[in-house]
Order: sequence, then structure tokens, then C-alpha cells
Amino acid sequence: MPKVLLKELAFARSGDKGDVSNIGIMAKSGSIYKFLLSVITPEKIKEHFKGMVKGDVEIYPMPNIESIEVVLRQALGGGATSTLRFDQTGKSMCTALLRMEVEVSEDLLREAREVDRKIKQKYGERR
Amino acid sequence: MKMVKIGSGSAFWGDMLEPALELAERADVKYIGFDHLAELTMALLNRIKLKDPQKGYVPDIVPWMKRLLPIAMPKGIKLITNAGGANPLQAAEEVKKIISELGLGPAKIGVVFGDDILPHINEIRAKGWKFKNLDTGEEDIDRIEDEIVAANAYIGADLIVNELKEGVDIVITGRVSDNALYVGPLMYEFGWDFSDKYTDLIAAAITVGHIIECAACVTGGMSNMWKVAERPWEVGFPIAEVYENGEAVITKTPGSGGIVNEWTVKEHLIYEVMDPANYIMPDGIADFTSVKIHEEGRNRVRVTNMKGKPRPETLKVCIGYRDGFIGEGWVFFPWPDALEKAKWAERWVRERFKRTGVQFEELRIDYVGINMLHGEVAPVEDKDYNEIGLRIAAKTKTREEAEAVRREATHLWNTGPLGTSFGVPLKVRPVIALWPSLVPREAVKTESRTLEVK
Repeated sequence: MPKVLLKELAFARSGDKGDVSNIGIMAKSGSIYKFLLSVITPEKIKEHFKGMVKGDVEIYPMPNIESIEVVLRQALGGGATSTLRFDQTGKSMCTALLRMEVEVSEDLLREAREVDRKIKQKYGERR
Repeated sequence: MKMVKIGSGSAFWGDMLEPALELAERADVKYIGFDHLAELTMALLNRIKLKDPQKGYVPDIVPWMKRLLPIAMPKGIKLITNAGGANPLQAAEEVKKIISELGLGPAKIGVVFGDDILPHINEIRAKGWKFKNLDTGEEDIDRIEDEIVAANAYIGADLIVNELKEGVDIVITGRVSDNALYVGPLMYEFGWDFSDKYTDLIAAAITVGHIIECAACVTGGMSNMWKVAERPWEVGFPIAEVYENGEAVITKTPGSGGIVNEWTVKEHLIYEVMDPANYIMPDGIADFTSVKIHEEGRNRVRVTNMKGKPRPETLKVCIGYRDGFIGEGWVFFPWPDALEKAKWAERWVRERFKRTGVQFEELRIDYVGINMLHGEVAPVEDKDYNEIGLRIAAKTKTREEAEAVRREATHLWNTGPLGTSFGVPLKVRPVIALWPSLVPREAVKTESRTLEVK
């Protein structure tokens, strides 16, 4: 099975609440959502962020929109006004997570690429 | 079925004015909500008010209302803004002046306040409430009690509803939750109250409010769709067409740029949420795991099936406290050997700190262009980069120590490797840290007032 970065399979966006970084992962399809739920665990995410996340990681499934909400505690160096990080509000945390490596079937990868293609086709032509 | 169109005119203090004007001019909305307050804006505004009791509101309200009111008032569009900040009554006085000067009266202004619990903290603690820190789990505010500079509760929509019942043209508030700026007008229009039969409908209003309250963030800003957004420099602010049964269509100003599609709505639904099944707001608890999203047309997304629980007994409160200073400096290194130069400079700075004995609580050194954003997660390639920056930031107890850190970076201007470049030095900044907590609802004495302008 090919090893790909999470970026291929999902969209993501992150923000902050105090020292909590929250990252929403939006799977590019229903079957990719189910696959991601089976491979993404709090332990794996914490490991992926190495020293950046000091506290616990929680995962909340959102089957209605095929998304996963990830809550990372003590993850922003103390929170927006106290942190020494340039990215005070953790807007780039989602893209750091999209660097995560996952092993995925050819079928799901093809499905994800098809979604990307359709988005480009459907909305791109309006520009 | 009755439908109300509500727009979002601002996501933060400093947002763009033009898309807000366009909402008023050509979007056929009945209400526009304006959020100007971030988690610690209140601490900043409190400080301004201490120096000058006639200030402490978000100053943008003056130029904004001068441009917005002449468009909105003749059309009967009502503006709901939390730009009152730490001084909503004074903000209302300023808006009164604008209405008189522009001859837009007669008008009524609703003012909502009482979110500031700083004067009552000791009284609330005396009754046994400890203000546990929601981030760190610390049980009591003992440790910071002498350093507290602001304590504002996130209050709900009830008094916004009361003021709308008074027939006001504008509502100016202190720290109401961003969300309540939208929940308020919807409750008023549809006659919802906090009794059980309206719980799911209020949850629907909370969900819709959440989706549009960050303005451009649901219309192609900060988006995974950034490559396909139309004329992003003409981005339109969002509009929710909300139906009496709680369903809504999310769209944006006709003819504007940006994009609203299933992904932009999804990415905002999941934005800055903790447990999505329990999105806790002062007016209710929304369940984002029941919502259905359907893109029904170009720049039109329908959201349905919102559910929730009754409003909580506690309100969130943001306590701001003084917590030292940050000193920061940047230098940049050009090819050749940019990365090697940056490493050389890091060692130089660390040795200098030892030599001069600067004390700091925490030191951070970033390689700009390599790992400033992704930190330890970023892979470092071994290649000859065009340029690399070094960012040196430290947290200190005193302003003098922060100055010393900042100055040390400037010494690299003359002693750094060949080509070391620098811009304008940054200023040392005082840190107001955040202590997020809860407060019993009944301990927050909210009030509202209706002002008339002839």
C-alpha cells in the first residue's frame, strides 16, 4: 500500500481556545473518513507533534460531515497572548498535521484525487 | 414560512469595512452582526479606559458607524455590535453624536453591559467560587489575584432580545459571546425564548451564528478552497437566510468575491470547537454532530437538522492577568550558507546571553523559512537556501530583561556573518495572560438601557 501524507486524503483547519489547539480534519470522502477514524489515534497525533503538544489529545468523530475534531491541550505555548510562538493562534497547526504519513489503499487514494479534481473543475472554472 | 436574513459584518477589531458596506447596500439583510472582540481584547480596552474613562470601546465603531448608518438606517437594517468593549455606554454616546450630526434621527440605541465582573470577583470568591483554570486545571486564582487586569463574562442574547423589543436601531454591547450577536435577533424575530420547546431552535441559531460569525472565514478566507475562491480581494461577507423551523441557507453578498460551498461551511463548523456534540454557548448547547450540510446551488449551502441542550448554569469568563514581558528580535541571512550562518548566530546569541547574564523564563529560537511554523514537525532539508531568518524571542519577568534580549539580537547587525540583514527593531511587549474559567450565571449582573436620539 502506498504511504502518503494526510494532505492527500483530507482538508484541515485549526484555531485556538486559550492554550488549546483545535484541528478539524475533513475527509475527502465517506470511505476515507472511516479509514481515517481507524488509523488516527490520540497517541499517534501526539507523537506526530513531537514536543509541540504538552497535554492530552482528544478525538471527536463527526460522521454527519465526515470529519474528525482533534483537541490538543497545552499545545500553543501558553496561549495567544503569552506564547513565544510566531503563530500565536495555531492557524498553521492544521498544516503540520497534514504532514502525517499514512499507509492507504490505492482505491482510497484514487478516490481522494478524484475529489480534488472535481473541486478544481467545479469551482476553478469560475475564477 | 417566515425567513430572516442576517449578515456578518466583522470578525475582529481591524476587519475590512467594504464588505460590511456591501452587505448593507445590496444584500437585503435585516440584521448585521459585528464581532470586534478577541479573547483578550477586553484586557486591552480596560487598560485604555483606566487611562481615559471616556474611552475603552473599540474605536473603529466611530468611522464604521459614520459609513454604515446612512446606508443601514433608511433601509431599517439593524446593527448588532460588541464594539462597546469595556465601555458600551460611552460607545453609545459616540454613536448618538454620529446620528445627530448626520441627521439620521429619531433613533433608538440599545446598550447591553454588566459582563465586567472584575469589581465583583472578591464577592464571588467569598461565596466559595474558585475560578478554576479550564486550561491548566489549577483550582484557584490565588496565584494571580494581585495581577488581574480584566475579568469579563461571555454573556448571552437575552438583553439583546429585550432591546430589540424596545424597537432600537442599533444594539451596542460589551463582552457578549460573538454568537449571541446572531442568536439575539433570531430569537426576537421568531419569538423564541429559553423554554424547553425552543431548545433545538436556539441550538440552530447558535450553529448558524457560529458558521457566519467569523465573516470571511466561511466565504473563502483562511480556507482549503483558497485556490478556487473568486476575486478574493472582493470577498463577500456571509449571510444566513434563517427559517422559522431552524433551517438555514448560508450564502454571501450577491456579486461579491470569495466562495461558499460545502467545504467552506464544513471548515467553519469544525473551527475552534472543543467537543462538537457540546458546543457550549451562554444561550444553549449546540450539537454539531447532528447538522446536515447540503450544497444546493452556487454559493448556497443549506444546513439542517440542528439539535441541542438548554443553556448552561455557568458562563465562561476570561480573566486577564499581567504575566511579565516578551522581548523579540529578527535577523536574516542570505545565500551562500544561509542555514549555517543562522546556526552560527544562534550559538552566538546563546553565548552572549550567558556572558551578559540576561535572565529569562523561556527562550525560543526559530529558523524562519525552516521551522518557525511547524516546529519539530518540519523536516530540515540539507541544501543551500536563498535566505534564512533567525527569530529570537524570550519571556522575562521585567521589562529591562526583555529589552536586554531584544538588544542582543541587534548586536548581530554588526557582528553577524557576512550579509546579516535586519529591519526595524521590534518593541518589547507586556504579556497579559489568559485564565479561562467559569462563573455562575446569577453572579453576573447584566443590564441594558435604551437611549433615544432626536
